[in-house]
Amino acid sequence: MFICVYSWLVVHVAGTQFTPSSLKAFVNSLFGIETEYGIAVEDADATHLVAESREVVKSYAGRYASPWNYRAEDPRNDVRGFHVEKLSQDPTDAQFDKPADRAQTPSEDRCDRVLPNGARLYNDHGHPEYSTPECTDLRSLVAHDKAGERIVLECAKRRAEVLGKSIEIFKNNTDFHGASYGTHESYLLRRGVAWDDVVHNLAPFLATRIIYAGAGKVGTEDKGAPPCPYQLSQRADFFSVLQSVDTLHNRPLVNTRDETHGDARRFRRLHVIAGDANMSEYATALRVGATNLVAALIESGWQTPVALRDPVRAIKHVSRDQTYKWMIETTDNDSISAVDVQRAYLRACRELELPGSEWVLNEWEETLDALADDPMNLHDRLDWVAKKSLLDDFAASEELDWTRDAATLQSLDLAYHNVDPEAGLYYGLVEAGAMTTLVDETEIEAALCDPPAQTRAALRGLLVRRYADKIKSVSWGGLAVEEHGERIVLPLPEAAADYPALCAQIEATESLRDVAAVLRKA
Amino acid sequence: MNTFHADETMRRPLPADPIQKPGGDDSGPSEPKVKRPDTRQLLDRMKRVDPEQAKRYRQRSGQ
Repeated sequence: MFICVYSWLVVHVAGTQFTPSSLKAFVNSLFGIETEYGIAVEDADATHLVAESREVVKSYAGRYASPWNYRAEDPRNDVRGFHVEKLSQDPTDAQFDKPADRAQTPSEDRCDRVLPNGARLYNDHGHPEYSTPECTDLRSLVAHDKAGERIVLECAKRRAEVLGKSIEIFKNNTDFHGASYGTHESYLLRRGVAWDDVVHNLAPFLATRIIYAGAGKVGTEDKGAPPCPYQLSQRADFFSVLQSVDTLHNRPLVNTRDETHGDARRFRRLHVIAGDANMSEYATALRVGATNLVAALIESGWQTPVALRDPVRAIKHVSRDQTYKWMIETTDNDSISAVDVQRAYLRACRELELPGSEWVLNEWEETLDALADDPMNLHDRLDWVAKKSLLDDFAASEELDWTRDAATLQSLDLAYHNVDPEAGLYYGLVEAGAMTTLVDETEIEAALCDPPAQTRAALRGLLVRRYADKIKSVSWGGLAVEEHGERIVLPLPEAAADYPALCAQIEATESLRDVAAVLRKA
Repeated sequence: MNTFHADETMRRPLPADPIQKPGGDDSGPSEPKVKRPDTRQLLDRMKRVDPEQAKRYRQRSGQ
C-alpha cells in the first residue's frame, strides 16, 4: 500500500517580503494513488487469477528491488485505538481460493517489485497493483498514474507471449458480478486532528465527489437495489458502513486503517478507499486536488455546515439518480444537492487562500457550475460523462436498449477501461481528440523511469537504480542493504529540505557505508 | 500549530482549459459550446468489442 511522508520546507511565497515574519514552516502536500488492475486471461476463470497476477508482476523486465519488508506494515491497526484480529473476507470470493495456489510467504504471494521511479508493483489478491511514488504536485501524480498503466500493460504483454494466450488489463473497479477491487488514495494528515472530526467532515465530501470523480458503470451490483441502467460510480454499490478498518468486505466510506508509513507520532495517512479508477487525467487531477484541499481544510479546524443523514445511503443515491439532481437528506430533515455540498467545501477551501491552489479551485468551481447546468457538456473531461455519451451514441446507432442489451453495454463499459491504447475506448476518445489531457508524452515517459524529485521517492528510486542487487529488504520508509558481508539499514529521511541535493551527494559516494553516512546527516 | 499548506500541489500549474460558462440570452438556451466527440471514428473499435466479454469477466474481490 502506498503512503505519504512529509518534509518540512521553508517557503517564500511569491510576491511577499522575505522577512523573518513571512517565513513559515509549511508541510508539503503529499499524495499518491494505488490501483488494483483487473486482469482477463484468455480461457482462464477467476480461480487462476492469483497465480496469473503473480506471473504478470514477475514479468516486469526492468531493474527492481525486493523483497518488501512486511514487518513494517499492519493493515489491522485501527485509528480508533484498537487492533482487529482479522479483516472481513468476502465469502463469495473465498470459493475461488485453491490451496495449490497459496503461496508460502507474503513475499512469494506479493512478488513485490520496487522500481527505479520509486513506485511499487505487486500482486494484491489476484490483481496486479501499482502504487505511484509519493508526489507533491498533481502534474507528477497524473504522469505517474499513467506510467503505471503502461508498466502493468507491458508486464501483461510479456506474460501473454510466454503463455501463448491474450491477457487484457483493465483500470476499473468492478467485474459486474459483485467483485470490486480498489483504487485508493493517500494524503498526509496531521496526527493531532481528532478522528471524529475527520469522519464528520470528510464523509459528506466523499459521498458527493463522485459527481465529478465517478468513472461510470452500466447497471448495479447492490442486491436488493432497484434496477439502474447507468450510475456515476463503479464503487458506490460496495460501501455498507460509515467507517471501518475493513477493505475487502463490508467496505466503509471512511477507512480507519492506521498505517502511516512515516512518523506516526506527528502524522497519519488518510487512506481513501471510496474512489473510482479514473482513466481521465482531468478527473484524476480534480479528484486528488480537491480531496487534498479538503484534507487541509479539516486540519485547519473547519467544521462542515453540511451534515448528511446517512452518507453511505447518500453516495448510493447520488450514484444512481437518473435525474442528475442528486438531492440528498440532511440531519435537519432538509435536503441539499450534491453540487451544493461540494460548493460548501469549495467555498471553505477558497477561504484557506493556499498558495498555488488556483487550478484546483477554479476547475472545481467551473465543473460544479457545468454539472448544475448540463452534466453532459463535460464529456471531454469526466469519465462517467464521457462513457455515458459514448454509450448513448452507440446505443442510438445500433438500436440497443439499456435494459435489454445491458450485457453488451457492460462489455463496452469494460472496454472503456482497457489500458491498451490500441483497444481501449477511453484511448479511442483520446486518439479522436475528444478528451482533455493534462500531461504530455514526455512527462509520462519520464515517469516510467524517474521518481518525483521532491520526496523520499527520489532517494528510493536512486538506491534501486544503483544498488538493486544489494538490497535485502525495502519498504516505503527505508531499505536494508548488504555489502561486503555487512548489513546496513538505510532509513529514508522524511525531513530532507533538499532531496535533489541529497541525491547528488549519494551519486558521489563510492560505497553503501558512505550512503548511510550521507543519509544519517540529512 | 502551523497550517497545512497545499502550495506544493500546484507549484507547476496544470494548463487551464476553462469550461465554457453556461450561455444564453432572452431568446432561450444557446447551443453548448463544447464540441461533442466524433464517435464515428470509434464505431469500428466499439463494434470489435466482444458483446459477451462482461459476462465472462470475473475477478477476485480486492480491496
